Amino acid sequence: MNNTIVSYLSQFESYKGLLESFSSLFGEAGPGLLTFLVFLIGCILVVTVMATIGGLGTYAERKISADMQARMGPNRVGPYGLLQFLADGVKMFLKEDITPNTADKFIFGLAPLLALVGVFGTLAVLPFSSGFTLSNLNVGVFYLIGIGSLVGVAIFLGGYASNSKWSMLGGMRGASQIISYEIPVVLSLMAIVLMSGSLNFGGLVGAQGGLPQEWFIFHNPFTFIGFFVFFIGALAETNRAPFDLPEAESELVSGYHTEYSGMRFAFFALAEYIEVFVVCGVGAAAFLGGYKVPFNLGGEGIIGQVLQVLVFFGKTLALYYLVIMIRWTYPRLRVDQLMTLCWKYLTPMAIFNLIGCALWIYLLDSKSMWDMLAAFVGSMGTGGGH
Amino acid sequence: MEATYSLDVYTPVVILLFLGAITVVAALLLGKLVRPHNPSESKNTPYECGEQPVGTAWSFFNMRFYVIGLIFIIFDVESALMFPVAVIFKKMNEIGRGGLVLVEIMIFLSVLISGIAYCWRKGDLDWVKSYVPSKDTNNKQG
Amino acid sequence: MDNVIFIISTILTVGGALCVLLTKNVMHACVYLLTCLLGVAGLYVTLGADFVAATQLAVYVGGVVILMVFAVMLTGGPNSQSSNKFGIVKIPMMGNAKTYIIGIISAVIFGLMAYKVLSRVITSIQAGEAPVFTETVEKIGFMLVTDHVLAFEISSVLLLGALVGAAIIARPKRGV
Repeated sequence: MNNTIVSYLSQFESYKGLLESFSSLFGEAGPGLLTFLVFLIGCILVVTVMATIGGLGTYAERKISADMQARMGPNRVGPYGLLQFLADGVKMFLKEDITPNTADKFIFGLAPLLALVGVFGTLAVLPFSSGFTLSNLNVGVFYLIGIGSLVGVAIFLGGYASNSKWSMLGGMRGASQIISYEIPVVLSLMAIVLMSGSLNFGGLVGAQGGLPQEWFIFHNPFTFIGFFVFFIGALAETNRAPFDLPEAESELVSGYHTEYSGMRFAFFALAEYIEVFVVCGVGAAAFLGGYKVPFNLGGEGIIGQVLQVLVFFGKTLALYYLVIMIRWTYPRLRVDQLMTLCWKYLTPMAIFNLIGCALWIYLLDSKSMWDMLAAFVGSMGTGGGH
Repeated sequence: MEATYSLDVYTPVVILLFLGAITVVAALLLGKLVRPHNPSESKNTPYECGEQPVGTAWSFFNMRFYVIGLIFIIFDVESALMFPVAVIFKKMNEIGRGGLVLVEIMIFLSVLISGIAYCWRKGDLDWVKSYVPSKDTNNKQG
Repeated sequence: MDNVIFIISTILTVGGALCVLLTKNVMHACVYLLTCLLGVAGLYVTLGADFVAATQLAVYVGGVVILMVFAVMLTGGPNSQSSNKFGIVKIPMMGNAKTYIIGIISAVIFGLMAYKVLSRVITSIQAGEAPVFTETVEKIGFMLVTDHVLAFEISSVLLLGALVGAAIIARPKRGV
C-alpha cells in the first residue's frame, strides 16, 4: 500500500505525458528522475509549510496567551501582528553567534543540526491526505518514534556541549524526561496499532471513518483513556509546559539552550514548534480520524484531497490550540512529580489500556461501542415494540 | 524469491534528512556574512547569573538518570518485540486464533509488569529516594 | 535510489566507526557511534528489513546512545581522572547454591505453567488456514506467535532479568 504523491499523481493524464517527455529526454533514468523531482518539490513544500506553521505557532502562542491574560499581544508588525515571526526570524539571523570558549565546539554545532534533522525526518510519514502522504512507509509509526528520539539526543548534547551548570542539568533532565515519556506514548500507540492491524499511517487512518463515532477515540473506553495518556505523554515529550523543566525559565535560566544565541537557538525553537505540530498530527491521525471527511465528501478527486488536507489541518490545529492553552493554564511540575507521573501513573495506565484493548478485540470482535448501541437500539425497535 | 523490493518509498525520508542538514548549515553560513563578530572575554564565558563560573560543570553524582535510562531501554525493547504481534492480532482474530495471541501477549506483559512492580516496590522509580540518606552532602536533588 | 541509500549508509557506518576509533574524546566517540548506528539502520533498509531498521532507530539511537552519554557523564565525562566517584562498595553477588536452586526451580515451574496454558490454546495452524501476509512486520509477527513463541516468551524473562539486575546494581549504598 504505497499511496504516496507519486502513485497518486500517476493516475492523471498530464503526469503520464510528463513521464513520457522525461523518458524521451533522459532515456532510462527518466521515470526515476521524475519521481525524484516530484518528491523533492513535495518535501520542499511540506518543509516550507511546516516552518511557516512553526513560526505562526510562536505568533499564535503570544496572541492566545495575551488573550487569556487580558492583554493585546503583538499587533504592530503587519496586519494584526501576523508578520511578527518573520521579524523575529530576521532578528535572530542578524544576532552574533557566541560560542563559549570552554564549550565543545563540534558537539555545540551538532546539537541544533540533530534536532532539526530529527524533526524533519518525522514529517515524511505524516498523513496529510490519502493521496498526499510523502512516504507511506510500512513501519510508519515505529519509524516516527525512532526518528523523534533524535531530538532527545540533541537536547542532551546541547546541554552537555555548553559546559555550563544550567545547561548540563537542563540537558540531563530533558533527556531523561523525553525517554521516560516515550514509553506511555509508544504503548498507547500500540493499542491503536492493535485495533487497526497495521503500522503505516494510511492503514491507521483508513480503519477509521469520517464521523466522530467512527473515530478510534470513541471506539471503546480503553482507547478513550489511551488518547489522554498519549496526549499527556506527547506534551512531555516535546518539553511543553507544564513539563518544560528542561527549559524552565525561572529555574535554570534557560536550561539546555542557555548558551545558544541567534540562529542556533532559532533552530531549537523551530524544532520544538514543528515537533508539537507533528505530535498533534499523529494524535489526530491515530485517535481523531485523521484526514477522513464526514460522509466522504468529494471522493478521491482533487476536491476530496483538498478537503481531506483541510480536515487534517483543522483537527491538528485544534489540538495545537489545546496545547498552547494548557501551557498558560497550569503551573510547572517539579522534576520528581514529573517522573512519578510517568512511571507510576501513565505507564501502568498504558499497559492496562493495551490489555483492555486486546481483550475488547478478542471478546467483542472489535465492534465499537456505537455499533453495539446501534445494534441494541435496532433490536429493541424491531423486537419489543409494545 | 519474491519481487524485488523497491526503495523508492524512502526517497522523501532521505530528501528530508538532507534538507534538515542543509538548512542548518546554509543558514549559519549565510549568517556569517551578515552577522557582527566581536568576541570578548565576558561574552565567551558561560552564563552564571552575572558571576564568574566556579568549578567544572558537572561535579554531582546522580544515579537516578542512569536507572531511568536502563528501565527505558528494557521497555523500548519490549515494545519493539510487541509491535509485530500487535500488528497481526486482528488478522489472527479473524481466523479464530485470537485466543492464542491473546494468551501469548498476556504472558509477555505479565512478566514485564512484575518487573516494573518490583522496581516500584524497591524504590527504584522514586526520584528522591526515601531511604536513610548517604553521607554525601553534595548530593543535589535532581 | 537503492544505490544512493547504500552509499550514504556505508559512509555513515564506516566513517563513524573509524572516527570512534581515532578520536581521543569519549563524548565525541559517543556521537560518532550514533552516526555509525544510523548508518546501520540505513543498511537494514537496503536489505528490505524495514521493521528491523525502525527497531534499530528506536532502540539504539533512542536508547543505547542516550544511556552511553549518561554513563560517560556520570563517570566524570571526558575530563575524568583515574579515580571515579562511584561510591559503590558492594559487589553484586554471583549467587550461592540457594539462589541457583531457587532460580532453576522457578524457571521449571514457569515453563510448565506456560506450557499448560499454551497447550490448551495451541493447535497447529494448517497451511491453508493462515492469512496471507505481505509486509515484513506481519511476517515477523506471525513467526513470533507460531514458530518462535518460546523465543518470544523467554525474551520477556530475559528482559525481566536485565531490569532487575540493572536496578540492583544501580542501587546506592543504603547507609549501613
